[in-house]
Amino acid sequence: MGNMRLGTKIGLLAAAVAALTAWYWFHLTGNVALPEDRTAFVVVFLGCVVLGVAAFVKRTSWLGTLPPLFAIAVGLFFPYTMMISEQVVARDAAIEVGDTIPRFASIDDSGVEFDSRSLSGHLVLIKFFRAHW
Amino acid sequence: MEELRPEFDKRGVKVVTVSVDLPEVIADRRHLHGLQATMLSDQSLVVTDAFGLRNQGVHSAPPSESAKALPVPATLLIGRDGTVLWRDLSENYQRRSDPSVVLAAMEAHFDTLQ
Repeated sequence: MGNMRLGTKIGLLAAAVAALTAWYWFHLTGNVALPEDRTAFVVVFLGCVVLGVAAFVKRTSWLGTLPPLFAIAVGLFFPYTMMISEQVVARDAAIEVGDTIPRFASIDDSGVEFDSRSLSGHLVLIKFFRAHW
Repeated sequence: MEELRPEFDKRGVKVVTVSVDLPEVIADRRHLHGLQATMLSDQSLVVTDAFGLRNQGVHSAPPSESAKALPVPATLLIGRDGTVLWRDLSENYQRRSDPSVVLAAMEAHFDTLQ
């Protein structure tokens, strides 16, 4: 330990923080409990990136390059997924409580035509979701 | 959502899902999303646009996606006369309508109807 390079130590710290934060993220995701405001997450993840870069600046051992690389990858990946997951609807166009649903036609997963008239007189739950990914 | 199946059946609720996947992809994934739901394929976003739920976000569809855009994840409860009784829009795809939230909404909006 005593002769471990400073950069290696910083890199290990960065990797540990990144791993713990990512674990906590998945833990919250599993409970559908991610906060609306993820600023703290972004700050911590980008902090990991900074530490990872600092580790290289301070020089690491050969094996010591792995923890800071991990920290940088994780630290960039999560803010990126947050960036692409923004949902924006044209608020004035979106259907609201009190509106009558539009008439629509589509096809189901067997290729059978579907007409929304078949829903009238029934209680209905309609769920829009993103593709499978 | 399928864990709410007894609650849907009890109330006679028709469940319809809308996504931009190809019909065969939906059929493939049916066991994940809902065995008894009507699962619509809205590749051209006709239904999504009729409801005004197209995601206007810049990065709304990754390049690999076959559809040119995606709906915003949303759950709607509709009365027998076609009126929207409840709406839940997700601000983020990682947060979908939790089954307990949907159940509470059905109790509040469906069970009070005559």
